[in-house]
Amino acid sequence: MNLAFKEIKKNKVRFLILGSIIFLVSLLTFIISGLANGLSQDNASLIKDLPEGQLYMNEDAEEAYTLSKINSSLQEELLTDYKDATALSIQMGILNDHKGKQQSVVFVTSTESKNFKDVKDGEIILDQSMKEKGIEIGDTLTNPQFSGEFTVKGFVDQTKFSHAAVAFINIENYKEIYRVNEMQLVFVPKDNSPQEISGLRSFSKQEFLKTIPSYNAEQMTLNMIVWFLVVTSGMLFAIFFYMMNVQKIGLFGILKAIGLKTSRLFTMMWTQMIFITTTSLALSIAISQGFNLITPEGMPFNLSIETTLSLSVVFLVIAFIGTTIASLQIRKVEPLQAIQQGEI
Amino acid sequence: MSLFTLNEVKKTFNNGQIKEEILKGVNLFLREGEVTALVGSSGSGKSTLLTIAAGLQSASDGEVLFEGKNLSQMDEESIRKIRATDFGFIFQFAHLVPFLTVEEQLLLMLDVSESKLKKHEQMSVVERILQLVGMEHRKNAYPSSLSGGEKQRVAIARAIIHKPKVLFADEPTASLDSKRSKDVMALIREITKNLKITTLFVTHDEEMLSYADHIIKMSDGLIVQHS
Ligand SMILES: Nc1ncnc2c1ncn2[C@@H]1O[C@H](COP(=O)(O)OP(=O)(O)OP(=O)(O)O)[C@@H](O)[C@H]1O
Ligand SMILES: [Mg+2]
Repeated sequence: MNLAFKEIKKNKVRFLILGSIIFLVSLLTFIISGLANGLSQDNASLIKDLPEGQLYMNEDAEEAYTLSKINSSLQEELLTDYKDATALSIQMGILNDHKGKQQSVVFVTSTESKNFKDVKDGEIILDQSMKEKGIEIGDTLTNPQFSGEFTVKGFVDQTKFSHAAVAFINIENYKEIYRVNEMQLVFVPKDNSPQEISGLRSFSKQEFLKTIPSYNAEQMTLNMIVWFLVVTSGMLFAIFFYMMNVQKIGLFGILKAIGLKTSRLFTMMWTQMIFITTTSLALSIAISQGFNLITPEGMPFNLSIETTLSLSVVFLVIAFIGTTIASLQIRKVEPLQAIQQGEI
Repeated sequence: MSLFTLNEVKKTFNNGQIKEEILKGVNLFLREGEVTALVGSSGSGKSTLLTIAAGLQSASDGEVLFEGKNLSQMDEESIRKIRATDFGFIFQFAHLVPFLTVEEQLLLMLDVSESKLKKHEQMSVVERILQLVGMEHRKNAYPSSLSGGEKQRVAIARAIIHKPKVLFADEPTASLDSKRSKDVMALIREITKNLKITTLFVTHDEEMLSYADHIIKMSDGLIVQHS
């Protein structure tokens, strides 16, 4: 006889309330985590979406990539020595459309590479968010420091930096706008990136992101919110499961008195816990993934199924711990105690 | 050999610093198939004696012999097995499982006693026992919708459905009115006689003594009278 489900069937309301609490709290956690990740993408997808590898900047730049200038001959050396290495520069700037409307963008240029867009002289490739600003393929755009005109060649998916749309331009055009000859950074994919290059300082992708001041502050706040939510909601679950089972001590005493094995009582509690938690989590995973699909273009929301699943595992583990603590209490219950307590 | 014997059973409780000896060396044996009543003033140790005999708590000293095996020397799992298969209990309150129907309470007991019966045989045993206690018309009811007397009748059914060798009852009629008490007690006697279950029950009620074959009187932790 399956006691776990018999009880759920009889006390539907109680279990429904517990289930909805788990559902709401986990949904809230998923949504906030989606927003955190969405903002992080919005802030740095240009870097985050690169393959694993190292970024190098000048030691003198003191961790500010805008101040970094890599010596041209050193750059040549690196690009020939390391397979798939790329030199690149990133700089805030503006574009004017034919109506004279100004758009802030981040100009990115690079040597030939499969990780960045190769753009011909006078052409430009923009992040797709610029479409919403009314820019279309074939439009011409200008920049006050640039003598020529940019023709929009195409759009790329979610490529942003510092919350601005990325605009890939040709290296020569970049040099003209910013009046520089050197590139700021060299990127070398993981499999062959060297540890030390004299005069240069090496950053992993994550370390590089931390050098962007706004990114760091924003992510720290959001991650704190997410973990705070996970911890509080986890504790909430644990306490709920604990209270629910401790309330039943009298019942467990009776069941023990008539000869039920303690292990069967444990199985009963765990079955209920796993059933309630997984159904509630499944529902909130479904809804948060649905939300992921219907979020409006401009809203930074990005919730991967991996993140959702790993948060769910954390929730399950915490609920399990709560139930187990309660069940340790129940192991100690003397059948006699319950009988002497009177009517249950 | 007697089915059930207590030899010099003592029980001491620690009430704070003071040790109180509640049972002071009880000797008792139950005659197979007969109904024995245990009486005595409040606090004389009747419930303590009954729960020790039923393996629900352990004695501080002495022997509790069931079929020649000493319960006070068994591990918890062996005692649990005996409780599940050879003993039945009825308490002052029915203590039914709130989320099981009357029928399910009985099926659970068969399940716990590791009954070898097949599903349909179990169902017919349940049917028969429910007829015996006059509850077959409420077999799908939950305990919360039963009256006190009805609950107690279900508790009786649960205590005997697995055909225990010994039935322990601690004031089984204390929560019922006088008319119902007699019905329930008569029922217990009838069933245990039919199934040849050895029975020990505690009571405060003089009227209930007419349902017993033997009466044991306790006073201050000792048995003072046997009849
Ligand atoms: N767990 C315990 N801890 C301490 N003292 C206890 C415990 N259980 C029982 N006692 C004491 O043992 C004495 C006998 O209790 P018991 O319940 O056996 O009496 P009883 O004869 O059944 O009384 P009643 O007729 O009122 O039910 C009482 O004084 C009680 O306070
Ligand atoms: Mg008593």
